Amino acid sequence: MIKFEEVTKKYGNQEVVKNINMHVREGEFMVLIGPSGCGKTTTLKMINRLVEPTSGRILIRDQDIMDMNPVKLRREIGYVIQQIGLFPNMTIEQNVDLVPRLLKWDKERRAKRVRELLELVDMDPDLYAHRYPNELSGGQQQRIGVLRALAAEPSVILMDEPFGALDPITRENLQDELKNLQNKLHKTIVFVTHDMDEALKLADRIAIMKDGQIVQLDTPEMILRKPANEFVLEFIGKHRVAGGGPATVESVMKSNPVIIGPERGVEEALALMKHKGVNTLLVVEQDKRLVGVVTVEKLDKNRRRASTVKELVETDIPVVAAGSPAREAFNTLTANKLDYLPVVDEKKRLLGLVTKTSIVNALASFVWKEETA
Amino acid sequence: MNPLLELLTRSWADILMATWQHVYLSLGSVALGALVAVPLGIWLSSRQNIARVVLSIAGTIQTIPSLAFFGFTLPVLGIGVLPAMVVLFLYSLLPILRNTYTGIREVPGELIEAGRGMGMNDRQLLFMVKLPMALPVIMAGIRISSVYIISWATIAALIGAGGLGDLIWGGMNVYDIWLILAGTIPAALLALLASFILGRLEKAVTPRGLRST
Ligand SMILES: Nc1ncnc2c1ncn2[C@@H]1O[C@H](COP(=O)(O)OP(=O)(O)OP(=O)(O)O)[C@@H](O)[C@H]1O
Ligand SMILES: [Mg+2]
Repeated sequence: MIKFEEVTKKYGNQEVVKNINMHVREGEFMVLIGPSGCGKTTTLKMINRLVEPTSGRILIRDQDIMDMNPVKLRREIGYVIQQIGLFPNMTIEQNVDLVPRLLKWDKERRAKRVRELLELVDMDPDLYAHRYPNELSGGQQQRIGVLRALAAEPSVILMDEPFGALDPITRENLQDELKNLQNKLHKTIVFVTHDMDEALKLADRIAIMKDGQIVQLDTPEMILRKPANEFVLEFIGKHRVAGGGPATVESVMKSNPVIIGPERGVEEALALMKHKGVNTLLVVEQDKRLVGVVTVEKLDKNRRRASTVKELVETDIPVVAAGSPAREAFNTLTANKLDYLPVVDEKKRLLGLVTKTSIVNALASFVWKEETA
Repeated sequence: MNPLLELLTRSWADILMATWQHVYLSLGSVALGALVAVPLGIWLSSRQNIARVVLSIAGTIQTIPSLAFFGFTLPVLGIGVLPAMVVLFLYSLLPILRNTYTGIREVPGELIEAGRGMGMNDRQLLFMVKLPMALPVIMAGIRISSVYIISWATIAALIGAGGLGDLIWGGMNVYDIWLILAGTIPAALLALLASFILGRLEKAVTPRGLRST
């Protein structure tokens, strides 16, 4: 439906979008996510030609958008801008039926459409149609911003952080509404956010961006299971909630277990254990690669014979791979009567530690999410 | 008998006539000024470089002392209503031009982008978004201009354009304070009235969604 072919955008010498290839399929909900300034808005605006690529091509239904009339193109694409941008000089009705007016729909059809849309989001048309934007709450304004984009029944809709400045509860309600709408309408949607929860909840696929490039483009599940690199891992780690999709071990692990280097002394290890109140230390190399564990009993027994941790480390221990379901870790823990289970990435680097306590904590923070958020 | 009353009974018709001349002289100039300055301001709003030049030229015109200005035009345009109107018209331009220009420039960028993004062409963007948003500011420019021009129009009497200035200059020639007042007071009242009416109009054109509630 929408195809980016090697698209680059430069402002002066700064490349803000670098060689992007992306194919948004018909009826797909594609979410662009990434830190502020990574080029999400720029990428989005290139689709309706508010920004024109420096090089590369963008095709909609196999037609190069540079060959299309920009005004006509934009009327066929719904657009929700980052700052809502309702026209303060127009009523809600006039805001919502703006594109139909530009397209010269007749009056009855427009009025009918406005009612239909307002009812879609449970706003009574008789009450709201003739109000002005400054007479609505922030949440209602953002709803109108979305309705305005839907009004002329475009098959492609671009949304730039449409629920940006909202309190968490209103935000979730609107996300639910949007999801319901999408289940009914099957639009092709490109949606920008920097909130991973939002992305996981809404997306069919997520494109994670960094410095103008797409770092990973995949389904929410695959991104959680197989993060392409550290950046993605950090990005999802930070935003993860055991909610959308199956929870992964990262969401239930404790991310800073007590560690020690293999060359460290036995006395030092014992002191560290005492200080931290633990009976096991994870032994990791400088590059964070997991070597194994040492226990307090073993250290104590061999105090005189060994000098470094390396000599007493147990290397044959069960571990769990990053991205595996939390449930699997839980089963391994209980079945083998383990106290802990290290989480490692594909290069055997230590990411964290799953214990029964860490699982309970994660569950607790999930159950009481509203209170702790 | 009170000299003011005496004056009024004697020459109320002259005063009324002078007031009427004053009204059409000043409002005519402002109307012409608006007719030129509003479209010019709109045109300039998308041409920053030219705008800077034009605005500074208009600003310079504003600083020419009005007496001198009338003096300059005398050899070219002679005396009478026409040259007076030309000068007053030139004076009226700047406030309207500047307000139109800034009014449109200050329309929030996200509204322009929303309009463009939804498929408005330049003309639709101007009439549906930019002008309605800038209208209160433009109206304020016209109001300021009117108040200035009503006061400056008194000087136009010097080149034979008539108006309340006639009474003032006449009064000065014969040392008649009452005659001077008979010109000054209506001129001041006219300025206040214009300011009041245009102020109301300014409110009326402010879109309801922009009024502070
Ligand atoms: N018109 C412009 N001229 C110059 N630089 C620009 C322009 N628009 C955007 N940029 C730069 O391009 C980069 C990407 O901007 P963009 O708006 O796409 O970021 P974003 O990912 O949407 O960020 P945010 O989450 O803050 O909205 C930024 O560094 C920004 O400063
Ligand atoms: Mg942005």
